[in-house]
Amino acid sequence: MIPKAPRGFRDVLPTEAAWRMSIREAINERFKLWGYLPVETPAVELLDVLELGGSLTDMPFRFFDSDNNLLVLRPDVTLPVARMTALRMNKRENWPLRLCYAQHVFTENDSTYGQDRQAMQAGVEFIGEGGTVADAEVLCLLFESLQATGLTDFTVALGTVNVLNALVAEASDDEAWRAQVFKAFHESDRVAIERLAQDGRAKPVYAKVVRELARIRGGEEAIEACRELVAPLGCEDGLDELQRTYELVDANVEGGKLMVDFSIISSFNYYTGMVFKAFAPEVPAALASGGRYDHTLESFGVSAPAAGFAIVFEQLMQALEAQDVRPPHIGPEQIVFDEDPKVMFAKARALREQGKRVVLGGER
Amino acid sequence: MADRNLKIAIPKGSLYADTVALLGEAGLDITGLADPGRHLIISNPGVDFIIVRPTDAPVFTTYGGADCGICGKDTLVEAELDTAELVDLKYGYCRFVVAEPEAFAGRADEAYERLGVLRVATKYPNITRSFYEKKGIQADIVKMHGNIELAPIVGMADRIVDITATGRTLRENHLQVVEEVLGSTARFIANKAALRTDPRVVELAEKLEELTRDNELTMS
Repeated sequence: MIPKAPRGFRDVLPTEAAWRMSIREAINERFKLWGYLPVETPAVELLDVLELGGSLTDMPFRFFDSDNNLLVLRPDVTLPVARMTALRMNKRENWPLRLCYAQHVFTENDSTYGQDRQAMQAGVEFIGEGGTVADAEVLCLLFESLQATGLTDFTVALGTVNVLNALVAEASDDEAWRAQVFKAFHESDRVAIERLAQDGRAKPVYAKVVRELARIRGGEEAIEACRELVAPLGCEDGLDELQRTYELVDANVEGGKLMVDFSIISSFNYYTGMVFKAFAPEVPAALASGGRYDHTLESFGVSAPAAGFAIVFEQLMQALEAQDVRPPHIGPEQIVFDEDPKVMFAKARALREQGKRVVLGGER
Repeated sequence: MADRNLKIAIPKGSLYADTVALLGEAGLDITGLADPGRHLIISNPGVDFIIVRPTDAPVFTTYGGADCGICGKDTLVEAELDTAELVDLKYGYCRFVVAEPEAFAGRADEAYERLGVLRVATKYPNITRSFYEKKGIQADIVKMHGNIELAPIVGMADRIVDITATGRTLRENHLQVVEEVLGSTARFIANKAALRTDPRVVELAEKLEELTRDNELTMS
């Protein structure tokens, strides 16, 4: 038998593992500087409980334990953190909560270089505070976290689910049509959006605007363009907030690029306001994604606004490599040997105290 | 991003000529594309054309080998990849059909009634599987790489799912169409990161859409 890892998993060897660790530390340092405190959640969750918070797809690992519970290897960290908060950190006098984590998630993805079923996510959840200042805080932290890893060329595409939600709700009572529109937006399938806008199942004025919305993209002026488009239909939901968030972030980040993009729709259906994804030109999938989810905690029994993001290490590493960021040197700097082991240990210890990486040499 | 050429995957074969003509109309420098010889990549000012097998165009685009590309809806559906589909270019029309030998008409239905399973030969297992799943029919899919029409003739499959533009090949092999699966035309596709980080992709999509807007042909 070949001693291999299961499909979609891989071992990480020292050079890369050290790099991943240093990236984790760099990101965690930013989280810490913004006052975010680390949490850990279990690797497995009860499927029924998790699904209270949102419908999940792409869960490759579901199984029964010996208690006959249907468990799932967590496909996401936001829902477990929301569950944890509702259960154990629900004292409002201690809110808002700024929580962060670095954990593996288990999903079924195409092509993340052999790691398509396990990915490391580092992220934050800002719970108990709504509004544009909180939105901007989360976004600014994303910019700084990405930059802390050495990444320079990236774009954060920012949108809101409110406009599309309002338009689609007004456009048609046909549930199937609505679901197809969201799916087409999520898949960036403009041909399907085009066809859905013309298939007669939705009111033409609204359908036409849904179609236009998918194309609005740009700087701050894109928000204005969107407003002009949807104002006559009374579907400006979320645009003022988006504008304020944009201005605040734009004024407070250096480097990277902030774009408005109304075609951004996440695969998770729990978002209620801003949504965003970060891209690097060299990597086909998003490096990070997030948004505001004000109703999720409610489904776990405590109502609270919340927003957050997760950075996916596998994608980030690909971008860093393409942008010529190289792993830090971690090998030993010095080999120490002495015939007398006592002397050898003492010499090495003295050097280590100066911060040198030292290995013991000689024959054993 | 504009410091490097835009990379476009273009399909060899039946879509090639129309694709090159359209990209030329869109203002790209198509020098050398008329007769690429054995070249796999043709670099002109501002643009690299990557000449690929039609079924590989979505692969190149999804995995970042190209920023954008052109391929048939058929290959896009079959590839099941995470690519942005931006414009229906309305040429290269063909359709997927289920067909069976004229001489054995009815035999497949009879076999299905008896066994509850249809055996279907195809080059497109994903499209075929999802088609029969939607109909609630159990299909045993036999994946082949060419000359699909042989399968029912020699009794290896009840029916075939294949692509046809005019129906001529089917007729020549005495096959008749049983039902339609889907219609297909050429699409402009893009890598999802390129779509969001490289404005040239969006500009090209808009130009192509303008150029093809008034074309009559649409997907069935």
